[in-house]
Amino acid sequence: MFLKFLFYISAFLTVFGAISVVVTRNLIHSCVYLLFSLIGVAGLYLTLNAEFIAATQLVVYVGGIVVLLLFAIMLTGGSNLKVLVNKFGLESTPLMGNLKTYIFAALSGLVLAAVLIKILFSSLLKSSTVSNNFFTTVEDVGVKLLTDHILAFELSSVLLLGALVGAAIIARPQRSTEVEE
Amino acid sequence: MTYSIASILPIVLLPFFAFAVNSFIVKRFTTLSVILSCSAIFGSFLFAARIFGDFVFGKYNSDYYIHKTFTWFDISGGGLTFKVPMGIYIDNMAAIMLLMVTGVAFLIHLFSTFYMHDDKRYGRFFVYLSLFTSAMLGLVLSDNLLSVFIFWEIMGFCSYSLIGFYYEKEGAGNASIKAFMTTRVGDVFFLLGIVALWTTVGSVTFVDIYKAIATGGLKDSILIFGIGVPVATLAAFSIFMGTVGKSAQFPLQVWLPDAMFGPTPCSALIHAATMVAAGVYLSLRMFPLMELGGLLPIIAYVGGITALGAATIALVQTDIKAVLAFSTISQLGYMVLGIGVGAYNPAFMHLITHAVFKACLFLAAGSVIHSLHDHHTHTHVQEMPRMGGLRKKLPYTFLAMLFCTLAIAGVPLFSGFVSKDRILGDALVMASSSKLYWAPAVMGFIGAFLTPFYMFRMIFLTFFGEPRDKDLYEHAHHEHIQFNSNVPLLILSVFTFGVWFSGSLEGQGIVKVFPESKYEWFQVLVEKPELNKFIGRTSTAISEPESKEFIEHSHYDPNHGMSEEEAHHVHHLHHLGAIASIIIAFSGIFLAYLMYVAFKVNPGWWTNAFSGWTKALKNKYYFDNFYIDGLIKKLMLPFNNFLSWFDMGVYDRIAIDGWAKVNQWLYSVSRWFDNLIIDSVLVDGSGVSVRFFNIIMRTIQNGRIQFYFIVLIVVLVSYLLSFKPVI
Amino acid sequence: MSLISYISISLILFICGLVVILARKNIIGMLLGVELILNASALNFVTFTKYFNSNIDGHIFSLFIILVAAAEAAVGLAIVIRFFQVRESIHIDSATQLQS
Repeated sequence: MFLKFLFYISAFLTVFGAISVVVTRNLIHSCVYLLFSLIGVAGLYLTLNAEFIAATQLVVYVGGIVVLLLFAIMLTGGSNLKVLVNKFGLESTPLMGNLKTYIFAALSGLVLAAVLIKILFSSLLKSSTVSNNFFTTVEDVGVKLLTDHILAFELSSVLLLGALVGAAIIARPQRSTEVEE
Repeated sequence: MTYSIASILPIVLLPFFAFAVNSFIVKRFTTLSVILSCSAIFGSFLFAARIFGDFVFGKYNSDYYIHKTFTWFDISGGGLTFKVPMGIYIDNMAAIMLLMVTGVAFLIHLFSTFYMHDDKRYGRFFVYLSLFTSAMLGLVLSDNLLSVFIFWEIMGFCSYSLIGFYYEKEGAGNASIKAFMTTRVGDVFFLLGIVALWTTVGSVTFVDIYKAIATGGLKDSILIFGIGVPVATLAAFSIFMGTVGKSAQFPLQVWLPDAMFGPTPCSALIHAATMVAAGVYLSLRMFPLMELGGLLPIIAYVGGITALGAATIALVQTDIKAVLAFSTISQLGYMVLGIGVGAYNPAFMHLITHAVFKACLFLAAGSVIHSLHDHHTHTHVQEMPRMGGLRKKLPYTFLAMLFCTLAIAGVPLFSGFVSKDRILGDALVMASSSKLYWAPAVMGFIGAFLTPFYMFRMIFLTFFGEPRDKDLYEHAHHEHIQFNSNVPLLILSVFTFGVWFSGSLEGQGIVKVFPESKYEWFQVLVEKPELNKFIGRTSTAISEPESKEFIEHSHYDPNHGMSEEEAHHVHHLHHLGAIASIIIAFSGIFLAYLMYVAFKVNPGWWTNAFSGWTKALKNKYYFDNFYIDGLIKKLMLPFNNFLSWFDMGVYDRIAIDGWAKVNQWLYSVSRWFDNLIIDSVLVDGSGVSVRFFNIIMRTIQNGRIQFYFIVLIVVLVSYLLSFKPVI
Repeated sequence: MSLISYISISLILFICGLVVILARKNIIGMLLGVELILNASALNFVTFTKYFNSNIDGHIFSLFIILVAAAEAAVGLAIVIRFFQVRESIHIDSATQLQS
């Protein structure tokens, strides 16, 4: 019962957030709506008995990536975008896309959606889906990480190190008076 | 005796071998080459004498023959046969001819060692003589028309070389070309005749031709310009034209007088005894064909015209060799007349006897000329007005020449009388049976009157009277007996007696000198070819020795195979002819005596009275003018110019230069093709098309990430849609 | 609660992310769309471990997705910042130097 309730709220949150990300003209607002969407996805993970994943999602995605995005928005002047009015009286925010791009994107999205729906539902409806009571614990995840997927685990640590160092180097402020070697 | 290659072929091969060897060594070893030539011909004479002995003294049969063949080449195939056999055919006629040719040739070789001794091309003369004798002997021995033609042409070449032997003399080159070309005209017809016979009969061997005539193979006609001409007439006429050319008959007689530019021994051998006789020999061999083609009246007329015409021209000649040349033409006319009236044997006998005495006459003339050396011009004198009274200086020459002149004049007891009288007798017989033959007979008799006249005119002018050129007479050498200058003459003159040829006075067995039937050997052995006998004749291969035994000897038939009544009529006419010719001969001699010895009749009066006639005779009836100015300059030269204009102006310009233009046009087309299609379209076009597609494809890579994303989606969608199990 | 619903949510997320990528001209706006897509795929994985597979590898993979997304977001935003420092603009059309 509780799960169902949680599911509906999380689903609503996710979808609403996603659609709002599409529609909003303001970059920061869309970032926040992304945040909502990610919280909804975490809730969905909970309904799927993936507690660890949900927690990781909340910590990493919500608390890390969205914050990072916000920082980047602030650093690149994404909040100072003024609303322009063009000659037809339509409002448009620069860099957020105009009608033409939305229509184009909507079309391609529709096409892809149609194809995917067709594939998925035609194959899924044929096969029987069984919801099994599969409970996982953090312990299971940890064991799997360090036994079967140990290589990926270690590599991911290298990856994160690389990302860290790379991001630090790339985003370092320019010293224009330095002579390049 | 066995007849094998070793007993027959040396006749031809010895002189040919001498020719081949001499042509290399003649400059260095002149004497050796001369000796080689002379001994080669003597060797041939020995072989020929052996064959003659077997034929005449051994077998003595008119049907005896030796026929050996080998296949020269055989290119039959695919159902068509084309086989060319070559071979040797010896019958009595050939045996006698062989002996005559080798004997006369040998004596002329001997004489040439004397006559040509001081010439700077002394050795070369013998080279040509050897080649010539080998060709003549090959012709006598051949059994088919093709090899006759081959040897005929070789002799023509030798005649050309020998006439132009003194090439420094002004007219000699022209004379040799004239001789060659004139005989060429006849040879073209001869070749056509050979071809006509070959296509009709399928073979050119004499035996096969006789067989075909006997079995009716030559009966059909072919259409020429819509007129049906029997093949036999066509072939016979064409072959007779060969005789006309080679034996200097009317109208192709123009070359023989000019042939006197050559050395005298060459004139003796070639233009008196042998080569010109080859034409008559050919006609004799082809006599059945001439009979079948109905050509005999034409032959008689040609012979008669030649005999009379040449005799008349000889009346006014002053060069001793010219007199003899025209006399040769005239006597050849008699031989051809003999063929024309059907007198096969007499014509052949006249050929043999004429060869002997004409050769002797020429050699004697050569001896005379050689002895008369003009110190001022350093030439030998040939003009009779400058001679005279040479009887004392050149007694032996005079003796030989006298005998031969008596022979040619037709004085009884000499060979010339026997043969010429028989021809005239047969002419009379034919004239009595048909009006057509009146003219030839009359011409023959008139010629028989003129011949002794001009021959004795020559004798009297040369040997009798006072010498007209004292200086020349003083320096003339007195003659001694010498093996190579007098002895050949005397030997030849011995054979001008009639007994060698016939045991009877007039060759008819009427007045017998020796009452032996064998002494009509000539008449018995040489017979008109009886065609039916040839149907069963066989030939052996040349490699096999052949020895034929005929037991039965032929006998002389005084009636010549005719009925008693006919024979009587014929004999009567022969008598008449004989008496007439004796009277005519003696009257000719008497007239000459009156004119040139006794000076009772003035020849000058005659030349003035008939001055136009004399002028015509001196110009040889304007034949040369007609041929050169009329025919060649007016007809052939413009035609030649037209042809050369056509060849160069039209054909060269159009075909060859025009072809160059076509090539140029083709080149420009291909250049256009190369430039436009290959260069512009393919080479540049490939670059342009790549650039074009580049410009199109470039838009895909425009650096816009969203565009890449769309492309990605498109690819993904298309992949998903194409994945069959899913859809 | 059924599989279909989770799949459809994942689909909606994916499509929205796609539309955001294609429609926005802002680089950071496009990165928002990328995050949406990544989330959609992670959701898919977790869904399928529950409904099809007793295997826990789906969870593991989702973790890795989140991990990689974090790394990628960090590096990507660093690049965007650098780009902004150089170009003074974060319009996507000013980043077309790789065109041919």
